[in-house]
Amino acid sequence: MADDGQEEQETRESAGVRVIPVSTRGLLRIGARPGFLDYLKQIWDHRAFIVYDARARVSSGNRRDRLGSAWMILNPVLNGLTFYLIFGLLLNTSRGIPNFIGYLVIGVFLFQISARAITNGARSVQANKAVIQAFNFPRATLPISVNVREILASVPVLITMLILILIFPPVEDITWRWFLILPALFLQAVFNLGVGLILARMISRINDITHLLSFALRVWMYASAVFFSYERFIDHEVLLTIVQLNPLFNVLDIVRDCVLYATLPSWGSWGVLSAWAFGSLILGMVFFWKAEESYVRE
Amino acid sequence: MSANRQDDGGEGVLPTVVVSGVSMRYHVPSTDARRAEVPAGVGGLVRRLLGRPPLVPVDALNPLSLVAEHGEAIGIVGRNGSGKSTLMRLISGQSNPTAGAVYASSVPVMLGVNAALVPELSGDHNIILGCLAMGMTRPEIDEKFASIVDLSGLGKAIHLPMRSYSSGMSSRLRFAIAASVDPEILLIDEALNTGDAQFRERSKERMNELRASAGSVFLVSHSLGTIREMCTRALWLDEGDLLMDGDPAAVTAAYLDYTRHLTKGNLDSAAALREEARSTLVVTEIEAQAPGRRKA
Repeated sequence: MADDGQEEQETRESAGVRVIPVSTRGLLRIGARPGFLDYLKQIWDHRAFIVYDARARVSSGNRRDRLGSAWMILNPVLNGLTFYLIFGLLLNTSRGIPNFIGYLVIGVFLFQISARAITNGARSVQANKAVIQAFNFPRATLPISVNVREILASVPVLITMLILILIFPPVEDITWRWFLILPALFLQAVFNLGVGLILARMISRINDITHLLSFALRVWMYASAVFFSYERFIDHEVLLTIVQLNPLFNVLDIVRDCVLYATLPSWGSWGVLSAWAFGSLILGMVFFWKAEESYVRE
Repeated sequence: MSANRQDDGGEGVLPTVVVSGVSMRYHVPSTDARRAEVPAGVGGLVRRLLGRPPLVPVDALNPLSLVAEHGEAIGIVGRNGSGKSTLMRLISGQSNPTAGAVYASSVPVMLGVNAALVPELSGDHNIILGCLAMGMTRPEIDEKFASIVDLSGLGKAIHLPMRSYSSGMSSRLRFAIAASVDPEILLIDEALNTGDAQFRERSKERMNELRASAGSVFLVSHSLGTIREMCTRALWLDEGDLLMDGDPAAVTAAYLDYTRHLTKGNLDSAAALREEARSTLVVTEIEAQAPGRRKA
């Protein structure tokens, strides 16, 4: 395309050419991508923007619904109920799982948090074209702010989750291990952000991926032992390893160990989860940053 | 015709904006099958099978170079679709050029009118969000908040979600947000004149203030009077080509002459005028100097 332009300029009749020597030193190229460390610094400088955006949208998210923010809690509750009817009562996958309701509640609630964060993070660039075209700011702030919003929105969801576990028998005791779910949830949030960054860049180029995302999430849900115990179904050794390397499975495993089974989660679970979380965050940041110049295009 | 800018030596230039060989080509779906590019190979076939309309290349802007110096106010005239807004979008960084690059001494700020920012948020939340996105701090925003609301003239509607705004209201809010910073390089798009009389008065006032303090101003307007009055230099763009670059009075006069011929239907004489302007243009070429070789 650049060649076409060159030809045209050569054949163009004009009164002459004025050559202006310009040093680009001291000038910045508009739309240019900064270096990676500068980029991280710019994001840090925009932290007020991230937090404000996240908080403003938490409260406005369900404004069109009559029940408003109650849907943030009703949604996973109804979801859990559906799975309880189908898998707990009809298919009886609960056999062999102690405290199946607690097991199911943790699985459904935590999976929903990840699914929401990843879906919304993935759409964040596409959904905010107007803001991107209006202002110059590091674009990674958009997926980050979406994830901050999801963390804020998940606080009442998590409280509901723990209340449900305490309400339904068998009653679990609150022990100091309950605090261990905080680092696990933190790592889960970091992982969500990393995946969101990767998908946000892909979807900004190829919108069709949004259609595939819901299928991928469904597969992921079935592979994460959300409402059945994987040990009953999987004998194949390789398959078992794959399930055990699944980051969300490890989140669920850690939280269930702490809250339901009063056991300390294994170091292996923490290790796998941390590797996924920070690996995906670093990969996601670099991958997203590489295309920084392209997000402004329609 | 000597209206076109002559060589002024190019020494001691203090550029604020350097547009270097920039061109813009869009690929857009077209319902006109005859104009479509013959799709080569598998890609075109797949497009047809999926029922997607063929893509047509549109050259919004042909390769163009220009240097804006400190203290210049540059007006841009041209018919609809001449590439004025494309040029502004490229300078402001709202689009990336197909080829070439734009350099600037600081981040240009565009006063334009696009649709809502975040439709589900209220006007006041959008103000804070927009200001934060432009890199302002909370104390700075608190200081300017009242004047932004005042300039937007939205009154109580500022607390309503932006999706409930009329197009005039949201463009006023956008203008008020963008005008709250004091930019060194200011881009103003004509479409501002859409507001009602009261808003036009206020925005003109604010624009004059900004122009007075800005280093360089680019102004797109269909009001030739505004261009003559406010600008020190004018560009005439037509169908993506730069035709003239020079004194505002001369450029607007030539453009007016051209449009009069078109209106009367004298296509031949209009084309001759266009060709004449184009052939007397002194084409600017940017010679990028390696840092360090620059003469003081």
